[in-house]
Amino acid sequence: MKFSSIYKLFLLCIAVTFVVSCVKDDDFDTPDLTDSEPNLTGTEITIGALRDLLIQEQITNGNAALTFEESDLYISGYVISNDQAGNFFEELIIQDTPSNPNTGVRVLIDVSPLFTSFEFGRKVYVPLDGLTVAFGNGVLSLGIRNGNTLEKVAESQLTETVLRSTEVAEITPMPMNISDFDIEKTNLYIRLNDVQFNRDEVLGEGRKTFAAEPEDEFDGERVLESCAEGTSTTFSTSTFADFKAVLLPQGRGTLDGILTLNFFGEEFNVVVNDPSTIVFDNTERCDPTEVDCGLASSTGDNVIFSDFFETQVENQPISGNGWTNYIEAGTETWEAFFDDGSNGSLGISARMGSFLSDDDSSIGWLITPEVNFDAQDGETLEFKTSNSFADGSTLELLFSADWDGNPDNITTATWDILPAAYIVQDDDFFGDWFDSGTVDLSCISGTGHIAWKYVGSGDSDFDGTYELDEIEIRSN
Amino acid sequence: MITLCVVLLSAFTMIAQDAIVKGRVVDSNSSDPLSDVEIRIQGSVFSTVTDAEGLFSIIGANLPQGEQVLIVNGADYILQQIPITIQSGETINLDPILLVLDLSEVEAQIGIISLSDNELNQDEGTAFNISGLLQASRDVYLNAAAFDFSATFFRPRGLDNANGKVLINGIEMNKQFNGRPQWGNWGGLNDVQRNREFSMGLKANDYAFGDVAGTTNIIMRASQYRQGGRVSYALANRSYEGRVMATYNSGMTQDGWAYSISAARRFGDEGYIDGTLYDANSFFASVEKQLNEDHSLNFTAFYTPNRRGRSTAITQEARDLKGIRYNPNWGYQDGEIRNSRVRKIQEPVIMLNHYWNIAENTTLNTNIGYQFGTIKNSRIDNNGTTLVTTADGQQFFSGGARNPLGDYYQRLPSYFLRFENPTSYDYQLAFQAQQEFVNNGQLDWNALYRANVDAQGNPLPATYVIQNDVNEDTEISANTIFNTTLNENISFNGNISFRSLKSENYAEVADLLGSTGYLDVDNFTEAAAGDAGSELVTNLAQSDLRNPNRIVGEGDRYKYNYEMNANVLSGFAQAQFKYNLVDFYLAAMAGQTTYQRTGLFENGNFPGARSFGDSEELSFTTFGAKGGAVYKVTGRHLIDVNAGYFTKAPNLRNSFSNARQNNDVIIGLEEEKVQNVDISYIYRSPIVKARLTGYYNTIQDQTDLGFYFTENLSGLGIEEDAFVQEVMTGIDTRRMGAELGIEAQVTPTVKLKAAGAFGQYTFTNNPNLYLTSDDFEGALTFGDGTAKLKDYHVAGGPERAYQIGFEYRDPDFWWFGVTGNYFSNAYIDVNNLARTSNFTSDFDGQTFNDYDEDLARELLQQEKFDDYVLVNVVGGKSWKIDQYFVGFFATINNVLDQDFVTGGFEQGRNSNFRTIRDDKARENGPVFGNRYFFGNGTTYYLNVYVRF
Repeated sequence: MKFSSIYKLFLLCIAVTFVVSCVKDDDFDTPDLTDSEPNLTGTEITIGALRDLLIQEQITNGNAALTFEESDLYISGYVISNDQAGNFFEELIIQDTPSNPNTGVRVLIDVSPLFTSFEFGRKVYVPLDGLTVAFGNGVLSLGIRNGNTLEKVAESQLTETVLRSTEVAEITPMPMNISDFDIEKTNLYIRLNDVQFNRDEVLGEGRKTFAAEPEDEFDGERVLESCAEGTSTTFSTSTFADFKAVLLPQGRGTLDGILTLNFFGEEFNVVVNDPSTIVFDNTERCDPTEVDCGLASSTGDNVIFSDFFETQVENQPISGNGWTNYIEAGTETWEAFFDDGSNGSLGISARMGSFLSDDDSSIGWLITPEVNFDAQDGETLEFKTSNSFADGSTLELLFSADWDGNPDNITTATWDILPAAYIVQDDDFFGDWFDSGTVDLSCISGTGHIAWKYVGSGDSDFDGTYELDEIEIRSN
Repeated sequence: MITLCVVLLSAFTMIAQDAIVKGRVVDSNSSDPLSDVEIRIQGSVFSTVTDAEGLFSIIGANLPQGEQVLIVNGADYILQQIPITIQSGETINLDPILLVLDLSEVEAQIGIISLSDNELNQDEGTAFNISGLLQASRDVYLNAAAFDFSATFFRPRGLDNANGKVLINGIEMNKQFNGRPQWGNWGGLNDVQRNREFSMGLKANDYAFGDVAGTTNIIMRASQYRQGGRVSYALANRSYEGRVMATYNSGMTQDGWAYSISAARRFGDEGYIDGTLYDANSFFASVEKQLNEDHSLNFTAFYTPNRRGRSTAITQEARDLKGIRYNPNWGYQDGEIRNSRVRKIQEPVIMLNHYWNIAENTTLNTNIGYQFGTIKNSRIDNNGTTLVTTADGQQFFSGGARNPLGDYYQRLPSYFLRFENPTSYDYQLAFQAQQEFVNNGQLDWNALYRANVDAQGNPLPATYVIQNDVNEDTEISANTIFNTTLNENISFNGNISFRSLKSENYAEVADLLGSTGYLDVDNFTEAAAGDAGSELVTNLAQSDLRNPNRIVGEGDRYKYNYEMNANVLSGFAQAQFKYNLVDFYLAAMAGQTTYQRTGLFENGNFPGARSFGDSEELSFTTFGAKGGAVYKVTGRHLIDVNAGYFTKAPNLRNSFSNARQNNDVIIGLEEEKVQNVDISYIYRSPIVKARLTGYYNTIQDQTDLGFYFTENLSGLGIEEDAFVQEVMTGIDTRRMGAELGIEAQVTPTVKLKAAGAFGQYTFTNNPNLYLTSDDFEGALTFGDGTAKLKDYHVAGGPERAYQIGFEYRDPDFWWFGVTGNYFSNAYIDVNNLARTSNFTSDFDGQTFNDYDEDLARELLQQEKFDDYVLVNVVGGKSWKIDQYFVGFFATINNVLDQDFVTGGFEQGRNSNFRTIRDDKARENGPVFGNRYFFGNGTTYYLNVYVRF
């Protein structure tokens, strides 16, 4: 009967439906992501000028921070931080030029990750209106003012705060020496040539990871040494970094990273975006050689050399008793002192420190008279050390078999480390004195000298003082 | 409904003393003969159905004598009760019996159609088998539950979908994965699913032993559809915006062939909830050949590919700022709504059914079913990384990004005000976050693409991709169902059934979002503090150690890849007895279930046989028995009692603790033990129909598996974060309560009705709980290893629901009805971990030094949702124009636009005394507040149809 008409109706109905009722399918094309150069109308200033405005505000008005209100100023710069590996978090560091930069600034933004929009080398513009500039954690920073602190720009404000240029530049790392570190050079992408990690952190069984050691809290701090200069600095990695469990490289070579300060704004830190910019392909390290007889289980009764410094004159350089007290660099020297306060001496003690000395470099040696190790058996060394905020300065115990006793030849002689001795560490309590342990010297033959060498960090603001006392060399 | 007798009696030899009742049933309008009309002598066991010519006859020496009532009951027609006088040796010929089309029944069918569409909507575990309930049973209570209570997650007797069985042509359709029927696999085929047989609770069912929430058998067999067609169009603002549906059935033709075809399309860019697209097509075909009088062969196939954009539970804070329609899963891309979480189901089913009348009163029905295809659930994977190799050859994975959804907790105002005494800066951030959330709050697709390309637009390794979690099942089912009527009082049913499932489960990259590829590693795998060396870490992070650091593209499997094999062999036997005073039945079942996982990836966290290759084979033996009786006090007063005990294999999902990563079997896994008893009083008079039921149901040794991220694990030391699998075993629960349904036909046009459910669904013990994770070794337990859940309510819909309503039905074929519905006692799904000793324990496993018992009690109080009232209006009109029926049917739900919470859960991130206390105490709202599902506001549904 009406079958044909039913089918027509049926087919028509279905056809109409499928045509009329389309729902967007799940095949979406990649959207057009062509960027265009942002159109900024205000006045551009350099990051250096931004820094000057802040310093001017600090000097003229005594304010720690400068907030831009109703301002049409903006800065531009190139992104040098990369949070892809998680070593930077909610901050963008930008410097003024791709190569040979002068100034850099840190922009605090409550967005993670940032690399997906602001890759390494991307040129960006930052309109300053509404932002506050200050030295946050010691380095030039832009953010939002919250009382006396600088805080992050909200996620919703990101697109108005940091505008992307279409340009992505090749960043040329700026070569720098550790001794040239300066507060004005922070937030810059630098290259350290001929550096290595301290032997205690990368050699032997205790080879450390970047930041996955039990004692690493927030950051893993490692000692980075310059082979050329003999200087060292702190290399810092976040415990949230994806590479925190990667082992530190053991060789020596080139490292590209960002110069910044630690969280407290007190100490220079070098930070990498990720370890691929660390190329330590030279396996010949520049470590001092060691003389290591370990620790002795007992001490003999015979005293070969001893000085408790009780006969020294307070605040005068250590002298007499066969000592060689030598200033290799700077103005500071090993001197006698007495203190019965909380940081007390042991009667009269010896100390050296370059804090606030304004020396570019402070290196001081205190060297014993010659000891003949063939004349007896079972030689041991004991002494005590204490410190006062050692910070970037170091104290080393050294031995030389070939120094001829002439101060002029100290630096050319071969000095080996005596690693068995415990020397006070920066994080030890400043009021305490620490025993060196009974350092075994019995494996040494012939004659030689023992020396305590103080090395400042190169920035006397970050140096401290080491105290030394109760030195005894004994034998059976 | 029960097909007691399919045998035609035309060639029957008459015995002298036999009485004969015969006749012919025709449509009052068209005078067409009506087949399959049920004819029954009231209060007796004598019944039959009409044949293709509309003819029937009941012959017997022992027909009840004297004045009797003949019930004539045809689907879609108004029931007729014809007084007759039966005398031995006499023949009563009723020709013709004119049946009048019951348009309300037609409308009810439309109602079924509208409701079962919603089932596509629901995530697993939320929807009850409402269309099963709707089955022509005119039970007032079930109708209320189906039509009016279903919008609230209401679950009759507190039972999950997995506690009910759905069969199609006698083949069980419940998925072995979670025990639940996948309604999406036959959604939109409502026209051809009108023949349903539903047995409530554990009542006798001819096809299967069934389960406590009832058994529905949907008959999709070409010969069972009445000749004719139907076209309908629906408009709605609930789940879809529009639906067209067309169906044509040939009926049984002269040469013994019958066929049926149906097609439907449902579509919408978004439903009531924002961004929930709906894109579903449905196709059905069935052909049946009556080979001879005793054999018939049917072939049925259906395919319903569908896509649904999903929504999610949101916090009160998000709801207050964005409203109940808020859905964080979507964003605009090129001006189009794009939902990141889409469920796509493509699982065609084909089946072959053989019907054999072995003897006069004996049938054997043998079925073979085959289902294959995929279910895919998409989401954003924001953890794309790159492999970095250092100058000295060490490797690590760099990258990963934050959750990009708008309602991520670090983007909401509460996060910025989480500390005491917020500063003006905090308020500024909170305000900006609020503005951003209110004005936008959706996904920024462009930002995701941008992350995957460089400044010149060249593709980079992926940070973001779209991931599909794919479930690729292939299942063969075969069963044979035996039915025999030994005599007029006794019938016997039995079946033997076998199912074999191979299920492949894997993640695949659905869309690279413009990137070059995705590095298949798990960047969340962290080196524990002190772990030396990155080699260990790079190995740990591998999804497949046999293919390390693979870059995957669109369509590639990644992350996890494993097979599950499940085989079930079962059988049941049942005897049914019908007598004048009492009907009763007894049934028993037994079964054997085996499961095995086969790892196709060797997971870095679980190297070797722990993840790769075959797992231990799990085997479960199940058995059960049930029985029940209907005692007919008089024709008007009936008492119905049912009781049963059976065991059930745990479902596949709850058998392996972390199937995506390893072969670990759940510790302490056992068969579930189900006990059920119910008793009903049924009253039927010409004016009043009522049923009152009391039920008591327990399930013991259930297993439940959950996955979440928590920040508060005690006893592990300072490291307290982990993504965990939470395994609960030995869960005992109890559901008890009462149901009432009553309706009164006050006048021929006005009907009043009332229904109510009053239940209590609680845990009756403290289940065992342990956690596993790739962040720590072995099974982590707390205190005595239990979660103190006893007497907590089992979450899921209101425990109490009441309805009063009325219907007006005009003789002129238009009608309308109004119901008022009151709901109460719905409870939140609690965080189980917070009910273990972990709650009181500090990082070192010791009790918090500031632990306060009274405050703890308050913090752990289970949230009870507010009571609410929903008013629903329904109405329709039908016309008969020539041979066409034309009509419309409309409902407006929640007329008063009542706000209500249908369900919710506590977040697992905070799981101890201090963090929960601190979060709840926050002046500006919790950061990890409870998440809620909100019910729809006022919605409409309008359906227009033509039937011929």
